[in-house]
Amino acid sequence: MSIQRQEIEAIREGFSKSGYICNTHIATAIFLAQKLQKPILVEGPPGVGKTELAKATAEFLSLPLIRLQCYEGLDESKALYEWKYGKQLLYTQVLKEKLGDLMEGAEGLTESLARLHDFDDTFFSEDFLEPRPLLKALWEENGSVLLIDEIDKSDDEFEAFLLELLSDYQISIPELGTIKARSAPIVFLTSNNSRELGDALKRRCIHLYIPFPESELEQKIIAARVPEIDEGLRKQLVAFVQGLRGEDLKKHPAVSETIDWARTLLLLHAKELDADLVRNTLNILLKFQDDIENIDGELNALVSKARGA
Amino acid sequence: MTQMLGNFIRALRASDVRVSISESIDAGRTAELVGFEDREILKSALSQVLAKTDEEEFAFNSVFDRYFSFEKIRSPAANDGTPEDGNQDDNASDNTSEEDDSSESDESESQGQGGPPGSGGGAGGQSEKSENASEQEAQASPDLLELLERGDTAALQQALAEAGQNARIDRIRLFTQRGMYVRRIMEDMGLEGLEMEIERATDKDEDRVDYIRGLRDGLREQVRDYVERQLDLYTANAGQQLREEVLSRVRLTNVDRRDMRLMQGLVRKMAKRLVALNSRRRKKDIRGALNFRKTIRRNIAHDGIMFDIHWKQKKIDRPKLVAICDVSGSVSSYAHFLLMFLYSLQEVLPKVRAFAFSGELGEVTDLFKTQDLETAIGETLKIYGSGSTDYGRAFEELERTVLDDIDHRTTVIILGDGRSNNADPRADILKVVHARAKRVLWLNPEPKSMWGTGDSEMKSLAAYCDSAATCTSLKDLERVVSDILRKG
Repeated sequence: MSIQRQEIEAIREGFSKSGYICNTHIATAIFLAQKLQKPILVEGPPGVGKTELAKATAEFLSLPLIRLQCYEGLDESKALYEWKYGKQLLYTQVLKEKLGDLMEGAEGLTESLARLHDFDDTFFSEDFLEPRPLLKALWEENGSVLLIDEIDKSDDEFEAFLLELLSDYQISIPELGTIKARSAPIVFLTSNNSRELGDALKRRCIHLYIPFPESELEQKIIAARVPEIDEGLRKQLVAFVQGLRGEDLKKHPAVSETIDWARTLLLLHAKELDADLVRNTLNILLKFQDDIENIDGELNALVSKARGA
Repeated sequence: MTQMLGNFIRALRASDVRVSISESIDAGRTAELVGFEDREILKSALSQVLAKTDEEEFAFNSVFDRYFSFEKIRSPAANDGTPEDGNQDDNASDNTSEEDDSSESDESESQGQGGPPGSGGGAGGQSEKSENASEQEAQASPDLLELLERGDTAALQQALAEAGQNARIDRIRLFTQRGMYVRRIMEDMGLEGLEMEIERATDKDEDRVDYIRGLRDGLREQVRDYVERQLDLYTANAGQQLREEVLSRVRLTNVDRRDMRLMQGLVRKMAKRLVALNSRRRKKDIRGALNFRKTIRRNIAHDGIMFDIHWKQKKIDRPKLVAICDVSGSVSSYAHFLLMFLYSLQEVLPKVRAFAFSGELGEVTDLFKTQDLETAIGETLKIYGSGSTDYGRAFEELERTVLDDIDHRTTVIILGDGRSNNADPRADILKVVHARAKRVLWLNPEPKSMWGTGDSEMKSLAAYCDSAATCTSLKDLERVVSDILRKG
């Protein structure tokens, strides 16, 4: 086994200790992000653990997780920094009172100006800066994990604004100049692909696509997340969910829904799957009434197939 | 290694994966980081750095497998040639000429040839003798013969790859270039030395001549194989790209039937790209219009001093589209494409209502939503395509059924030649539509000079369109539609 593979396996095992089960592909992405110091763009259907991946990474590396949830209309004053206007106002008033002392004995306009110049200019300084998530992440001394969640929900202006941060780990504040990261954070961007992201953004990132997990991996995930559940039932329920993903549905059940369902079955003290039980709890897995109705006819076949697995 | 990666990226680009320069640099660093030993990790890592969409990842996987399979195929084949394995299976198929006479050198030769196409010679010979032979020949001709005789697959492979590089194999574009490249590579590997050796042995040792010829032919096979594979790798998509490029410029009516399928793909691609480019809900600041209420509210905390000023914003939504397509006989070949485009547009835009008419006007939105392209177009043409054009009736029907749905956000596109068979085109209805709709566009397959001649009512109808344009090729269509989407 090569050294690289050992390192990657170490990441994978570290993750599984904190309850995030993944394959080598995902671990490789984390490895690369650390070594190349590049952000990771994580794509995939909702509920496959994109956000969890960032949390797991933060836990694994014991770094603080800083999260920025994107939405339409998000701008830099909410994402990056804001001036503390109230404090600035107070400051100007204090300044006004001090002005008399300062100017005492000054002769002529030139001298007054010179004295004013010598006076500390703190109006626009870090003291009056209110850091928002992005700036906070850059200010962390020992690095951090920055999660920019659902970047596809933000406007493309914001996407463009992120480019400087993503490629150089620095940002520009017009009044202060460029602020560099004290220690480069590990950046995760997640996207549900509700719109096509720009090429410039994609180019700066490592691209990781997380699909629905294979049956074996999903079993491991359930075993890690709902350890109380009995092995036979676990196999059956995973097989059933995998079967559901093969059907034509508006929304296929994701891993998070499988976990919820496993917990539900545990609460109901189920020993194995049967059609009635599934029918009664199907609303945990399927979130559209149409889907539930459509699948009803095939429920028996799916259940018996899952029981056979 | 760098060269290898460079060629790999070139192969990726040939398969429609867009790789920028900064991404190639990343790929280089990545490869350095993870090394080439572990295939699986290398593939994962490179795909994450280079492929940025689903389609690209798909293409990446196939190119990766083909590109790096080269060595994989080789080594097991080379093992076949080792004495322990014996070589019985291979020699049955080829080079029978030397099977009988050159037993003393079989073994080394079969090693040298490696893969099935090249491997000649009989069953494992005696090792002392072959050592003997290679010693003799080593002084006579350099490298190549020695390599071949020693059966050093790894070295041969390396020599082949190097020769390939020297011959700039990555620039290969056409299959007619194969011969040339084979020749160049052979020469680079030291063909001359082989030929000289053959000449030297002529008249003295016939067996020896045959044997070396066998080696040479085997090598040629191998080189040809290599060139074929490279050709496949570097030109995977070139033919298709060229063809698509040509098709997009050709007049819609002149496209061959056999190109239809390709054209469909092209139309869909175009529609998708256009929508992806423009479908974002855009917010646009209009400087100069102060949002007074919001500003006051925001600044109460600051003693009413205006620190934080808010401007009025305007949101632009995805356009609502009503498309009306003339499918009568006079524009039939053209109508097929317009329908195809309409279909693709409807797949990617949420709010498209499509209508078709010749005499009668009817909505085909549902048909388009539920049926696949071929059926939908076929059905549409069958139901609506038989009558003779009557714009007047079609517009009356339009007024009755759709007018209520047309508002200031709707763009109306009319596809047709404006020839109404001398019936009243009811331009007055179009006038009403124009007044209500955001925009009315007319796409006409006829050139402008033909408008208003004969029974064409284009002149009077065009007055009520925001824009009326000639549209004959896919490029035209793309331009017009991109215009619609841009202006929302």
